[in-house]
Amino acid sequence: MPEGATSSAFASERLQINQGAEETVRELLRSLLESGKVNAVLALGRTGGPSGGVAYSLFRDPEAFGADGDALPLLPFMPANAGGLLSRLTLEGPVAEPVAAVVKPCELRAFIELVKLSQGNLDNILLISSTCGGVYPLDMGIDGSLEKKLPTYWERMEQGELDDDVRPTCRACESFVPEGADITVALLGEADLDTQCTLHLNTERGAAFAGDMEGTTVSGKRDSEALERSLDERKAFREELFAGVGVGLKDLIHTFGRCIGCHGCKTVCPICYCRLCYFDSQNCERPAGFYEGELARKGGLRVPSDTVYFQLGRMAHMAISCVGCGMCTDVCPADIPVSTMFSKVGAAAQAVFDYQPGRDVTEEIPLRTFEEEEFTEVAT
Amino acid sequence: MSDNGIVLAAEDGVEAAFIGWLKETLNKNIFDALLIPVGTPAGDSFAYLLLQEPAILDSASPLPPVMPVQGGKAIGRLTMRENPSKRIAAVVRPCEARAAIELSKLEQAHLDNVCLITLDCPGVLPLADYLVDPVAGAARFKEASAQWDRSPMRPTCQVCDHFSLRQAPGCDLHVGTLGCPDGTAVVVAGSSKGDHVLEQMDMGGQDEDEQADFLNTAVTDWGTQVEQVEEAQTERRRQAQEDLREEIAGAEKLLGVFSSCINCHNCQRVCPVCYCRQCYFESAALKLPAENYLARAERKGALRFSPDTLLFHIGRASHMALSCVSCGACEDACPMDIPVGQVFSLLGDRAQKALGYVAGTSLEDPLPLVSYEMDELHEVEQPYVEVYPNQEVQDA
Amino acid sequence: MSEEREFVPKIVYFMCSWCGTGGAETAAAHHLRYPENVIPSRVNCTGALPAVHVIRPLIEGADGVVISGCHPGDCHYDDGNFRARRRVALVKSLLDTLGLEPERVWFRYVAHGEGRRFVDTAAEFNDHITRLGPNPLKTRSDT
Repeated sequence: MPEGATSSAFASERLQINQGAEETVRELLRSLLESGKVNAVLALGRTGGPSGGVAYSLFRDPEAFGADGDALPLLPFMPANAGGLLSRLTLEGPVAEPVAAVVKPCELRAFIELVKLSQGNLDNILLISSTCGGVYPLDMGIDGSLEKKLPTYWERMEQGELDDDVRPTCRACESFVPEGADITVALLGEADLDTQCTLHLNTERGAAFAGDMEGTTVSGKRDSEALERSLDERKAFREELFAGVGVGLKDLIHTFGRCIGCHGCKTVCPICYCRLCYFDSQNCERPAGFYEGELARKGGLRVPSDTVYFQLGRMAHMAISCVGCGMCTDVCPADIPVSTMFSKVGAAAQAVFDYQPGRDVTEEIPLRTFEEEEFTEVAT
Repeated sequence: MSDNGIVLAAEDGVEAAFIGWLKETLNKNIFDALLIPVGTPAGDSFAYLLLQEPAILDSASPLPPVMPVQGGKAIGRLTMRENPSKRIAAVVRPCEARAAIELSKLEQAHLDNVCLITLDCPGVLPLADYLVDPVAGAARFKEASAQWDRSPMRPTCQVCDHFSLRQAPGCDLHVGTLGCPDGTAVVVAGSSKGDHVLEQMDMGGQDEDEQADFLNTAVTDWGTQVEQVEEAQTERRRQAQEDLREEIAGAEKLLGVFSSCINCHNCQRVCPVCYCRQCYFESAALKLPAENYLARAERKGALRFSPDTLLFHIGRASHMALSCVSCGACEDACPMDIPVGQVFSLLGDRAQKALGYVAGTSLEDPLPLVSYEMDELHEVEQPYVEVYPNQEVQDA
Repeated sequence: MSEEREFVPKIVYFMCSWCGTGGAETAAAHHLRYPENVIPSRVNCTGALPAVHVIRPLIEGADGVVISGCHPGDCHYDDGNFRARRRVALVKSLLDTLGLEPERVWFRYVAHGEGRRFVDTAAEFNDHITRLGPNPLKTRSDT
């Protein structure tokens, strides 16, 4: 691999700040809100008081980013894919004044992908992301175990490693360095995260917004040994994970057999933007006669039916744009490894078209474009 | 309930005897097909299967340890458009039958050719608990249900007071096991449809008087036991609901309860009575231009995003609480362990009481929001007393 | 008055097109006044007012919601007001169960000619909500 497989996303200039990463991000966001440079910040924060939960919020009050504020911008947790939330925010048109968003790389990719699908608008959205060490599963946000895990998480991040308890999807993620972020906070493999912070100002917009932060500007090539090592480790884990889910009709039926039909995977999927899913639509509501016909043919018929059909059909709709965020697995009440299956199939489909979802907003989505002389082998 | 009934007895348990009886109904051509829970191919869960081959019944499980899909929903999917031309027996739990009855009243299910067969229900395990180890889960369920111990069951099942025909009188046939000696059960009819099935199944030939006596004793014993359990369950439910209300009432506590909601809407999706193809809360009605969200964020200092989480829950309650059958499917599907089933059950009970309705117990009682009495609910009318006499003169 | 700003509630007044609105028109013709913080909102019939439209303002910024339709027997559509009464009973039951102050919702019949009754209802409800104080939900950012 040429050096910089992980560093190509960085600009050559970065800002070094003598302050912990969490404090730096909080101060940056507070000052942006205070000065009115941004109108609001989309970030994680506490809800329902100290013993409550965590959710994304649009913060207006700068105090949220004070030391005791509700915001938790760098919490390794993903209660929703923020890419979908940014789409919701900008669905009807761009925001009039800048809004900053602190998102993980997969959330950023989801938003770019949604913009390409005409479901959002990048104008005036300041994207702040970080080199990602993964997030903990939703379950751990319920019983308080997430909070207890945080010291270990950050310790291992400094060593360039992932905690064993982060979601398998994250441990198998190859795209943990954000592409297209205005500002990237260096986290993975950075020493002294509680006293030092490096901000990569990748775009002019990023530089303009973070310009007031006190720090030293450093230029030149960046050492990304830790990132490369993490990439190798994650690739190895990915192979192992993918090998664990079988394909073929029998294995698919086994994997999806315990599906309860809640379609939660679809609801939380940032790419599944349809207001009414085809598989919830009238097209999939059938008269009793249909079931009777199927029954006569098969002797026995699962009701509600279309379990595997839904999964494969949804795959056909969105796998090419699947950003591998893992929300679907996290939300599944039947503990089906939905995301592993979708990533596995998605990666293969994306390879066919040499396409990486969410990499570049100017790159056409494969199914919306074609060349006359291609894939001639599929027509016989 | 009619006098008609039979006593099921078998050496290898009620389940086997009941399945044998169901096979007979297929063989005797009383039903054309059965809808009944069957283990999934991987053996780690259960699904409703529509079947006509008696042989498949060997892998059926009339009372599975979990409720992955609410049976009312399965019946709804099958019959939403029209009455099936085949005679179908649906073997479901009482809350599932009640959901089917609600759906029928909401014109989302057609039950003319469906015979609802229910069983005395010991509850089900939480789906998440069971999936950790299905084999151990099945054993745990078997042991607990044999003793009618509801402690490992879902919270909504622990305080269920609609577990038998007595509280779900809309069912056509019911298998009673409470208070019956080991290995026996009574099958009684809850409707004329059920009566008709029992008549067709009547073997005849034996001493009818002796049979009738035996049956009467069994049914009486069962009925007494059901009443006793109901009394205990009603009290448990009252107590649990009182405690729950204490935990959730008021803006502060309520927002704490729903603070970890991730807006996946699984609760709505698995709810048997939330039948809308497109939920209002996912529709364009709540998708607004960015200015709206930002203005709300400005007014409140911040805006939880996705917005309208509390509106979704209270709003959904306003749509379905009057038809809520307290099945707990919503809570099973919640990835964040929010006690949504318990909250909705409480909302449903109180709202139904306020409007004099019990969901799913009769096909005849009209739905509360499509009917009214002229002389009722005067307590919600704000009486007019002249608080500001002579104001008119000043205004003028 | 203390240093705290005087509490001026925000009130949404749903009225049906036939009677409630008529009451407001009659009040206007008689030059009767009602508090300016009462926001009138016309619906075709109170029987067609979804429960969600009563709940939503209570979460998003209103301190109280008052609903006025025709007197029993006078509904333009025969029975809309009886249906509305059931829906109000439902909303009040939900709010009561959740400890969200059902007294923030009022339901009172106002006929077309009852201008006095309309302004009295607006003023009386305004005083009632002022006494109750601000709705705790409206400032919460985590709804």
